[in-house]
Parts: sequence; C-alpha cells; structure tokens
Amino acid sequence: MATNPARSDHPRRWRLVARPRRPAHLALLALIVTGLAVYAWVAAAAAPFSRGALVGVVIPGAVLGVIAFGRPPERIPPPAGLDTIGMSYWVICLAAFFEWEASAWRDNSGPWHPSFTNLVDPLLAPHPVKSVAILVWMLAGWALIRR
Amino acid sequence: MSVPPIPTRAITIAGFAVAVAAMIVLEILARRPGSRIPTVGQWLGYLMRPKIGRALVLAGWWWLGWHYFAR
Repeated sequence: MATNPARSDHPRRWRLVARPRRPAHLALLALIVTGLAVYAWVAAAAAPFSRGALVGVVIPGAVLGVIAFGRPPERIPPPAGLDTIGMSYWVICLAAFFEWEASAWRDNSGPWHPSFTNLVDPLLAPHPVKSVAILVWMLAGWALIRR
Repeated sequence: MSVPPIPTRAITIAGFAVAVAAMIVLEILARRPGSRIPTVGQWLGYLMRPKIGRALVLAGWWWLGWHYFAR
C-alpha cells in the first residue's frame, strides 16, 4: 500500500508540507465544483429525449470512465469482507424496493400504481432541482471511482 | 358510517417512501461506531473490488443519470 512519505516520516513535516497547499487546494476544489454546477445548470436546460440531454450525461460518463480505468485516483480501501447479517438488512430493503418497482412495471405503471420514475420525474421538472440532481449525480460518480 | 377506501396510488407511494426511509435509517445505523451494518460506500467498495464489479457499478450509475436526466 502506498503511503505518503511526508506523513509517515514525521508528522510535523507533513503539517508543514500540507499547510501552504491548503488554500490552493480549496480554491481548486471551489473552482471544480463551480464548473460542475455550471455544467449541471446547462445540461438541465436540455429538453428530454434531445441530443443535448444525451450528450449532457454521456460527457460525465465518458470522463469518469476514462479516469476510473485510465488514471484512477487514490482509492479508499474496500473492506476485506462484509458481515452477512449486517448486509442482509440492505438486501431486504433493496429487494423490497425493486419488487415494488417491478410490480409497477407489471401493471404498466398505471396511475394507481406508479413506478418510482413516474413519481420522481415531476419532482425533477423545475430547472434548479434538476440542476442540483445532476450535480449530485456527478459528485456521486466521483465518489464511486474513489472506491 | 362507511370509511372511504384508501387509494391504491397512496399505498404505492407509501411503499416507496417506507423502502427509501428504511435505507436512510440503515445508512445512519451503519455509521454508528462498531456497527455490523456496512455503509453504502463500504458495500459498493466491496462490490467494486474486481474490475467487472467496478464496471457494472459505474454502468449502473451512468444508467441512473441517463434514465432520470436524458429521458
């Protein structure tokens, strides 16, 4: 496992190295988040089923795909194993959710049994809400490739 | 006096709300120290250890974006 030599050699030295860079890192982070927010705002303006809407999701997917498989960032180490009982709670919740969704599909998503998408789509209709959702989606993608 | 029937649509929405709320509660419980329940990040990280798992999880993430934002 790669360790940062500055951190492992001497904690004080690590602090000295880290301190001058911190404002620059924060500025860069703010710049990136602002850029993503602007991108999300522009992408959210595209009409559904349009070429612009498709391009709006293809670009982040392609960029994160290249980063994930070409130049992956330092990853958060995954756990060696999962507790079976602890994980079973998640499996039950996810199974219940997808079963509920599947039954809506079987019923052809009638108004009496709407699918999750039918319920979420009107909530995403306002431009600011859709922009925030796209931003969250992109940040979630970044969090995923760090895993 | 007759009780008005509960609309099926309300039951459906309640079902989704319960499932989503349960997942939020699970995530909160998972973040407690010493919890046996893994966080979403932990079990996704576990699934993403092999390259195929990584590709499938990222494909799922991209599909969600396409499904909700491009359609």
